[in-house]
Amino acid sequence: MAQGKIVKVAGSLIVAEGMASVRMYDMVRVSRHRLIGEVIELRGDQASIQVYEETSGLGPGEPVESTGAPLSLELGPGLIESIFDGIQRPLQLIREKAGDRITRGIEVPALDEEKQWEFVPRARVGDQVDAGDVLGAVQETPVVEHRIMVPNGVAGTVKQIHEGKATIRDTVAVVEDAQGKEHQLTMTQRWPVRQGRPYREKLFPQQPMVTGQRVIDTLFPIASGGVAAIPGPFGSGKTVVQHQLAKWADADIIVYVGCGERGNEMTDVLKEFPELHDPRTGETLMKRTVLIANTSDMPVAAREASIYTGITIAEYFRDMGYRVAIMADSTSRWAEALREMSGRLEEMPGEEGYPAYLSSRIAEFYERAGLVTCLGQEGRTGSISAIGAVSPPGGDISEPVSQATLRIVKVFWGLSAQLAYRRHFPAIDWLLSYSLYVDNLAGWFTDNVSPEWNELRANTMRLLQEESELEEIVRLVGTDALSWKDRLTMEVARSIREDYLHQNAFDDIDTYTSLKKQFLMLRLILDYGEKGQMALDAGSNLSDVINMPVRERIGRAKYIPEDSLYYFQEIETELANQVTALINRGGM
Amino acid sequence: MSDKVLRIGVVGEEDAILAFKAIGAVAIPAVTADEVAAALFKLNQDKVPVIFITEQAARVAPEALTRYETSPDVAVIPIPGIMGTDGYGEARVRENVIKAIGADILINQEKKEE
Repeated sequence: MAQGKIVKVAGSLIVAEGMASVRMYDMVRVSRHRLIGEVIELRGDQASIQVYEETSGLGPGEPVESTGAPLSLELGPGLIESIFDGIQRPLQLIREKAGDRITRGIEVPALDEEKQWEFVPRARVGDQVDAGDVLGAVQETPVVEHRIMVPNGVAGTVKQIHEGKATIRDTVAVVEDAQGKEHQLTMTQRWPVRQGRPYREKLFPQQPMVTGQRVIDTLFPIASGGVAAIPGPFGSGKTVVQHQLAKWADADIIVYVGCGERGNEMTDVLKEFPELHDPRTGETLMKRTVLIANTSDMPVAAREASIYTGITIAEYFRDMGYRVAIMADSTSRWAEALREMSGRLEEMPGEEGYPAYLSSRIAEFYERAGLVTCLGQEGRTGSISAIGAVSPPGGDISEPVSQATLRIVKVFWGLSAQLAYRRHFPAIDWLLSYSLYVDNLAGWFTDNVSPEWNELRANTMRLLQEESELEEIVRLVGTDALSWKDRLTMEVARSIREDYLHQNAFDDIDTYTSLKKQFLMLRLILDYGEKGQMALDAGSNLSDVINMPVRERIGRAKYIPEDSLYYFQEIETELANQVTALINRGGM
Repeated sequence: MSDKVLRIGVVGEEDAILAFKAIGAVAIPAVTADEVAAALFKLNQDKVPVIFITEQAARVAPEALTRYETSPDVAVIPIPGIMGTDGYGEARVRENVIKAIGADILINQEKKEE
């Protein structure tokens, strides 16, 4: 192994000489503490290395040893329910070994090497297999079947296959390739984090990822395999929105990357997820979740890697044919880590000190999401939906990270401090946000929810738009200047805002709304608007229309449990009756 | 409605509005809020552009009046009833003046008269 010597230490960046044989992004071990580092720049025989651990106490002259391989993850059974740091070290094990604080140079295997997994073969001896083909499966948790695939670069005939208990280090299959070479395959494979895992074909997403959040599913839906960004100022609820998506999104696997945010936010996830039950499987949410934590007090360089670690794990599950959702909270902290490293490398800074390659790095991350046909002869499809929070300083999204993100993502959920201040949560601003998937998903909603859905959605957007125009007038000359028709419009828009878009993440029923219920709720509110207008046209008084007793029930409709949706029928009938009564009275 | 009929509507207590019938206006007696609202609504449906309403009737149905305030095709004008004016019409004019120019310029005029 190549061994060099430290010549310079600058925070988490060190420069070592005598490193002529190393290659870019190779992993190295630094000093006698054996800290983990990664080569990020090469000049002659000098290598700049970012060290993923605290570098205090290091000095020139100490040894640097190359491992000869890039930073790679070990992918195999045991990933689910784990909590890793930015470079896939299991925090649970580190705690057992070293206590609450991560000590330096600690070495623990990423996956449990002793656990016996029940391996059920799918391939038979004599089968021709290709990279990506499923050799067998392991029931990793009650909801996740971990499919063991032929690693990339291996193809040939199955010579031998194991059945029954095995650890991740045991050989489960032997594959002989065309040259007659035998490959001993275990249940794990290694993959360099900075390289996207291969797939056969990228497809255009046509199906929404249902999140149970009304403002998202109805107004700004994200496709399964889509990319979204949530920029918002401090305290506007980015993290809560991310948590809600992690909890309720209809994905098979959730990868949650806590990147540079507060530790207690990760604690929330760790405490809540094991208690919450997935409405589809009945198992706890933790049984489908992988957590990656690089909280704000952990080393900066590992923060840079945490995003790649997350997306690589997501890609691995995607290759098994799962729908994966990855949440990154927050990509701004990640960009700041890039900036810090770039500064130490003495690179020419770009906008606001961020490196000139900021936008290409962000694009690289989001481009690894998508709906694909996986490798393998089966033609499985898998998807990764990526949702990144962005924390622009002062909430001003004209800064580089937000702008670079907006260029790539197709869904933009803009959080507004004003809405958060008015206690309207989720504070997704309906006038600012957009989703470019709406047209592609329209067909799916027509077929699977209701043919009326797209019209309802368009009407809702129109009403909210009209409301903002009318509000301008009210601000100038007062409510008196509005006609009754317009005042009713404002009233209906208010109802959409308060009774529909506002959603309480901490209420047991309100926290998740199925598409069916969303449709019924929205139809009820818009129906009220239409019928109210009819009553006005027939001569009813505005105050009577606004104060119809049924409105109380419309407002409470969000608290109707998913299994009692027949109540909506009742409210609709009541609405119709009350309007008829009004019309009969008004038209004297 | 034939073209010969005067396109004016009158709403209020029966005694006050009967005289208007003589000049061909459409007079609809109304005392309660609902009656006033219904009368105004009917006149508006018939596209009567000018409606006189007695101050007393206007007072009982303030909400019904707001409906036509912003309507471009009808003017609802309060008139004194049989008991004479009770200041409703004047108060309304004053209100509108304040809204239009932001100050009560009618105060001085009154003082001068005094």
